[in-house]
Amino acid sequence: MLAEQIRNSLEKLELEKVAAGDYGRTGYHVEVAAKPEQITAIAQVMLEHQCFLESLTALDLIESFEVVYHFACFRELCRTVVHVPLIKGKTAPTISSVYPAADWFEREVFDLFGIVFAGHPNLKRLILPEDADFHPLLKDFVASS
Amino acid sequence: MIVALIGVIALVSVNALFLIWMERKVAAHIQLRPGPMEVGYHGALQTVADALKLMGKELITPDEVDRPVYLLAPIIIFLPVLVLFLVIPFSPNLIIRDLNVGILLIFAFSSLTVLSILMAGWSSNNKYSVFGAIRSIAQNIAYEIPLLITAMSIILMVGSFKLTDIVAAQDKVWFVVIQPLAFLLYIICATAETNRAPFDIPEAESELVAGFHTEYSGMRFGLFFLAEYTNMFVVSAVATVLFLGGWRGWILPPVVWFLIKVYAIIFLIMWFRWTFPRLRFDQLITFAWKVLIPLAFVNLLVTALAIKLF
Amino acid sequence: MMLEPGIEEKTFYLNLGPQHPSTHGVLRILLEMDGEFIANSEPVIGYGHRAHEKMAELRTYQQYLPNLGRVDYLHALAYNHGYCLAVERLAGIEVPERAEFIRVITSELNRIASHLLWFGAYLLDLGAFTPFLYCFDDRENVVDILDRVTGSRLTYCYFRFGGVRDDIDDEFIAGCRAFITRLRSRWQDYDDLVTKNVIFINRTRDVGIITPEQALKYGVTGPCLRGSGIPYDIRRSEPYSVYPLFDFEIPIGERGDIMDRYVVRLCEMEQSLRIIEQALDKLPNGPIMAEKVPKRLKPAEGEVYAAVESGRGEFGTYIVSKGDTKPYRIKLRVPSFSNLSIISELIKDTLVADMVAILGSFDLVIPEVDR
Repeated sequence: MLAEQIRNSLEKLELEKVAAGDYGRTGYHVEVAAKPEQITAIAQVMLEHQCFLESLTALDLIESFEVVYHFACFRELCRTVVHVPLIKGKTAPTISSVYPAADWFEREVFDLFGIVFAGHPNLKRLILPEDADFHPLLKDFVASS
Repeated sequence: MIVALIGVIALVSVNALFLIWMERKVAAHIQLRPGPMEVGYHGALQTVADALKLMGKELITPDEVDRPVYLLAPIIIFLPVLVLFLVIPFSPNLIIRDLNVGILLIFAFSSLTVLSILMAGWSSNNKYSVFGAIRSIAQNIAYEIPLLITAMSIILMVGSFKLTDIVAAQDKVWFVVIQPLAFLLYIICATAETNRAPFDIPEAESELVAGFHTEYSGMRFGLFFLAEYTNMFVVSAVATVLFLGGWRGWILPPVVWFLIKVYAIIFLIMWFRWTFPRLRFDQLITFAWKVLIPLAFVNLLVTALAIKLF
Repeated sequence: MMLEPGIEEKTFYLNLGPQHPSTHGVLRILLEMDGEFIANSEPVIGYGHRAHEKMAELRTYQQYLPNLGRVDYLHALAYNHGYCLAVERLAGIEVPERAEFIRVITSELNRIASHLLWFGAYLLDLGAFTPFLYCFDDRENVVDILDRVTGSRLTYCYFRFGGVRDDIDDEFIAGCRAFITRLRSRWQDYDDLVTKNVIFINRTRDVGIITPEQALKYGVTGPCLRGSGIPYDIRRSEPYSVYPLFDFEIPIGERGDIMDRYVVRLCEMEQSLRIIEQALDKLPNGPIMAEKVPKRLKPAEGEVYAAVESGRGEFGTYIVSKGDTKPYRIKLRVPSFSNLSIISELIKDTLVADMVAILGSFDLVIPEVDR
């Protein structure tokens, strides 16, 4: 099965956590936690398994960030989630060279959270105006309503 | 002559008002809806109201335009159209000047439209307008050639440029029966010449917003609009003369027959517009140069041979 | 560096949008033009940004429901469905079967409405005005049917956690059956008028080809992906609700050009009709709401990802809960966002007219891209 194959390939990368997910509860088949510098290698593995980048987003956990990657596959039902904790102020490497889809996703995360993706070819605001000086999805950003 | 001029201007205006109403009604009925119904009987006065509104509108001149050219363009598109009416034979008597180069005059003056479109597009200083103008020129050049060649096959058969002679030559049988291919080519080219869908590339609204007249408002836009519909009338009138026997008919007076035939062709052109999607620009030009022009030449050649043999 | 006009300068910039007839919303594309050919392009989005994801953090789970219909207003019920599915999974709510059937019926009706609108608007992009009105004539029927049961015509907010708001009645069922017969009788007209039209074929064949490799790398989903020959439809690949009970096909294309995407959408409407028909036949009796859904929903700590198939592709809802009445974070994975990101690659070295045709074939809903 694809989920097993992905787990086997990812285990070789010595990540923090590679586990089978509880699909009925969370919608995941593989749950992964990794360090920022490992994400490019993970993306490479996912592409080799013919998975596409479903979504890329971030969480503001007040003390730190967490970048969350979702991968799924066209051929078989298998969703992989990758959690990448990130200390605030640090950069995460881009995966846009592996997945062009990540180009816009990373720009969006940069726009809304202020997370910088090192090596991104065109990292500028995607949704908000270029002269905006805030990142609305941070927990300390207060919406006016 | 002055009476004639006033008559032509009145005819042009009334005709355009009628055609716009007709277009809206035809479109509406093709699309299963009633169209304008409120002003007058079945909305017959709707376009009069629209024209009054258009005249009352402010004429906006954008800052960046090339003023003299920009202001001249709508006038230049309208003047040749008036001249064309001089030679159209509505009936044996109802013709202002029966010139012996009538058909040449029509083709010569109708090509002037493209000059005005270029002026409008270029002087507007808007990239969409320039696109529209450039496309329009390429298109008009491409479609004028087959148009002239098909007309030539008729002129060969008649041996005269005079429009009344051409009608007179069709006393036994209309030329559409003898020259069906030429008629088909002519209708296609005429649709393209008047920039009507599916050849409305110069003003393709989904690509170029409004093409060459994007920056025009009020009655200046109105003049372009008027010219489009008048041009449609002229090409249909020429088609009637060349292929449908002009004013010839039974019982009804000749001028009525002439108008019936003209409006039938206009209806056909409107029918095209509300049925077909638009061609792509390069397909349009390829179609003219690789299909229409060779076909027109073949038709001319066959006509010449047939005249020589029989 | 500012470019001075000179002989070396071969290209110029054309600003398409944000107000342009064929961008279907406030999308702006900056085109670097070489004559009528596009040398480079850069889409600029965000004009319709309403911060739906931030709003989610400020509202309770129930209060956020009306937002979903406004993200993608054309297939609002799929978005209702996706969000409810995620929350139900998170809170462990079981939905009664009748409610799931009603969800499927209304959602498929909405899909047909969405595809019909695309069909008409797309032909408008190509310069044919008349099919637009024919489609709206048909679409009006769907809107009326849905209006009866949901109470609104566009931005539906009909699904609730654990079921649906109102039960359907016999008149609704009769209306659906009449609509199925009516729409089936129209396929021939659409085929004659559009699909077999030589101008239409010339405009769409072999234009804007998406290869399966490109689709994989850009995460393209929905009819755009199926046009490229990959039968990935969440309704079949990741079955949710009661879709496994129905017999329907996943239409796919071969070449991945505009024509294939067009054919896929047309066939999908027929498949949706089949699903509705079967659902009406098998419709069980019973409650339409789960019992004991708490008024103040407070899911346990955790996260969930649920995906549904919207008219444009995969709509995913990612919810992170910290055990509060308000979600900690909601990420809406919208199909148009990923689909649009491929556009720069597809329109390179094409004509403006082709660009319009390609852009239209994506069936973009710009408020969905901007959120």
